[in-house]
Amino acid sequence: MIDTLLFVALPYLALFVGIFGSIYRIRTAPLTYSSLSSQFLENKGLMWGSLPWHIGITIILAAHIIAFLFPGLWQSIVSHQQVLHAIESIGLCLSILCLLGLIVLGLRRLTSPKLQAVTTTMDLVIIMLLLLQVGLGAAMAVHCKWGSAWCSGTTTPYVWSIITFQPDVSYINEMPLLVKAHIVGAWLFILAIPFSRLIHMFAVPVEYLFRPPQNVVWTNSRKLESQDQAFVKEEARRHFLWAFSGIALGGFLLSIGTFRNVFSFFFGPRLERKVETELMETRLSRLESTVGQRKLELERQASNYILVGKLTDLNESNGKYFIDFSMQPAIAFKGKDEMPLLISAKCTHLGCTVGNKVDDKGRILCPCHVSYFDIVSGEPNAEAPAKAPLPHLGWVIMDEKGSVLATRDSKGKSQGSVSAEQRESARVYIAKNQEETT
Amino acid sequence: MIDLDKAAHKVSGFLSERIPVEKLNFHSMVEKKEVPIHKMSWGYYTGGLTMFFFMIQVVTGLFLLFYYQPTVSDAHVSVEYISHHVAGGALIRNMHAWSSSCMIFCAMVHLLTAFAMKSFEKPREITWIAGVLLLFITFTFGFTGYLLPWNQIAVNATKVGLQSVEYVGQYLPGQLADVPRILRETFQGEASVGQSTLGRFYALHVVILPLLLASLLGLHLLMVQLHGMSQGVDKPAKKAEKFISIFVFKDLSLWATVFLALFVVALCIPFDSFLPFPLLAPFNALGSTPQGIKPEWYFFFVYYPLELLPFWVILLASMIAVTVMIFAPWIFKGTSRRTLGFITLSASVYLVVMTVFGEQIYEFFKH
Repeated sequence: MIDTLLFVALPYLALFVGIFGSIYRIRTAPLTYSSLSSQFLENKGLMWGSLPWHIGITIILAAHIIAFLFPGLWQSIVSHQQVLHAIESIGLCLSILCLLGLIVLGLRRLTSPKLQAVTTTMDLVIIMLLLLQVGLGAAMAVHCKWGSAWCSGTTTPYVWSIITFQPDVSYINEMPLLVKAHIVGAWLFILAIPFSRLIHMFAVPVEYLFRPPQNVVWTNSRKLESQDQAFVKEEARRHFLWAFSGIALGGFLLSIGTFRNVFSFFFGPRLERKVETELMETRLSRLESTVGQRKLELERQASNYILVGKLTDLNESNGKYFIDFSMQPAIAFKGKDEMPLLISAKCTHLGCTVGNKVDDKGRILCPCHVSYFDIVSGEPNAEAPAKAPLPHLGWVIMDEKGSVLATRDSKGKSQGSVSAEQRESARVYIAKNQEETT
Repeated sequence: MIDLDKAAHKVSGFLSERIPVEKLNFHSMVEKKEVPIHKMSWGYYTGGLTMFFFMIQVVTGLFLLFYYQPTVSDAHVSVEYISHHVAGGALIRNMHAWSSSCMIFCAMVHLLTAFAMKSFEKPREITWIAGVLLLFITFTFGFTGYLLPWNQIAVNATKVGLQSVEYVGQYLPGQLADVPRILRETFQGEASVGQSTLGRFYALHVVILPLLLASLLGLHLLMVQLHGMSQGVDKPAKKAEKFISIFVFKDLSLWATVFLALFVVALCIPFDSFLPFPLLAPFNALGSTPQGIKPEWYFFFVYYPLELLPFWVILLASMIAVTVMIFAPWIFKGTSRRTLGFITLSASVYLVVMTVFGEQIYEFFKH
């Protein structure tokens, strides 16, 4: 629970606030988007604080970023023992450099009366947090050695899981407390960017290196006017380019996303062995039932008798479904006379298959349009949409050797009988040409 | 003796009025076209929307073709495979199902508004008739597509539907009485709804009907562009907007909005979720028909009356309705838009009530 809060909720909050808060601040209060330098107020201490701190932290951060962005490359670098040793020792030295710089910077803030005037609570909080975070980093370098190597199986995939919106805390929840605290600290810093002077990390004055040595500014009115026009034109062009590149990038991403998804649809799934096996089993069983259906058809084409079931299997209230010679469903019951009662199950209304459960009035129900059919007469009830009765089917009872014991044709004319000892082995059939067999 | 020359003249006169070839150019069909602005203007969007849903049907249908297998043993498994295993398969299938309903709904609304606006007036009779036929084809699409997943409700509803066709036979005289049976057997292909039926419905749904619909739609659209938008109201509208590009852009933005809505709905609500599971289980040829077999909602307006009233009443009413629809341009030649509006309103009330409350009405009268 607490892990989810600190390592899933906090990161997203931090990233969201960090990114959108910074954009908001840069757009709405552009003048605060700087380091609010205090070099004018105090110079000497600043050099001994700011320089070591910035040199140290820039290199350390760069190493962190490279390790996260290019885990493969990083892994191959640190897999050489000497390199690993070098990186670890340089990292530790740099963190000590940072700590020293930070201490100077902090003392300077606390002691110089001029600086006291421009120091906000946030500044002090940030320095404290930085001290803590760098201290934790240095402590990790000592107590949890070879972090630059083990990060590629733990923290790097964790950060990637956050960035790809599939957060997975399992990479880090077994980590020592020291490491966890360092990670939480990192997210807190991202969260704090828009609210503090940390935002100056986006205001690195790179153009300073390339600016022209001098700028000529004309002050006569005509020049100024044409300059204004040029400026407006330039602004318009800039806006257009921004909008255009935004739309182009959006369109590009959209088409990549769409293409990827469309492609993976057509590429088809690569199933796990178990799922694939289950699927194959289902396919096979469906195929088998189709084969069964085909066999039934063939049997009805070729043979003169179709087995309905054993006479003793038939029941008065729960009918047995079978398929007649025209491939239509029918139901077999045991009649009051202990003889089979075979009735068509194809509703005479619209051809649904009638149910096989007999109700207390001796009727079976077609569920499609609610017609009740009396199983003895076959007649539907008066209000039923079906008007015609369900026809009965004739049957033939044979013993095990295949000699005919009794028959009844579809009109109800019976012949022969089955004795009590013959009942056990008697089997009920329907015959293709009832008239010929009787 | 018939005066051949006069008859030929009459025919050519009729055709030249309906198909004004002199307007058969880009300038008058597209550039010059204007869409009137009045209180019924929204009616001009319904046709485009129907076509948009058809386009979605074609695209998603092509996607589904990649995995669907039209055999009784594999159809149901392949549909489940699409829904459960293929990446985005459930979405595509849902979109196909939802969009089919939307297409039928829009087609019906389009027909009703076109009727109320008297858009079938001379010289737009061909457009109208093509439109009515398109609606019938759309319904046939629904009927044939319903069978393809090969689940209990699909097969049993198709059985009932096909059997109803045969039922017509008893009202026909002499040799004609056999025609509906022959027709049913042609579509069914074997003694019971089975592999042959599935194959035939698949062919209809995937090849024959789309070709038919596309060609009729081509004619319909050509006619619409040739004649321009109908006036739609009694007083000619004072304002109009250009077809290119204002109306087209409005149309496109409507399509985009509708697509977004469809996408979200298809993502969130499986179309099957309105049916209980036993109806969605694979079809079992040896069991009884499960309870609750009914057609898609867009057939309710004829299904529930069919349950309540004698068959011949429905048959007669449908035949009259179809005849009136096809010959509307001549039957309602002199009818005012007010009266047409009233007829449309009554028809819409009937359709909505039967579709939404059909089941309750059925229960009320049956119990």
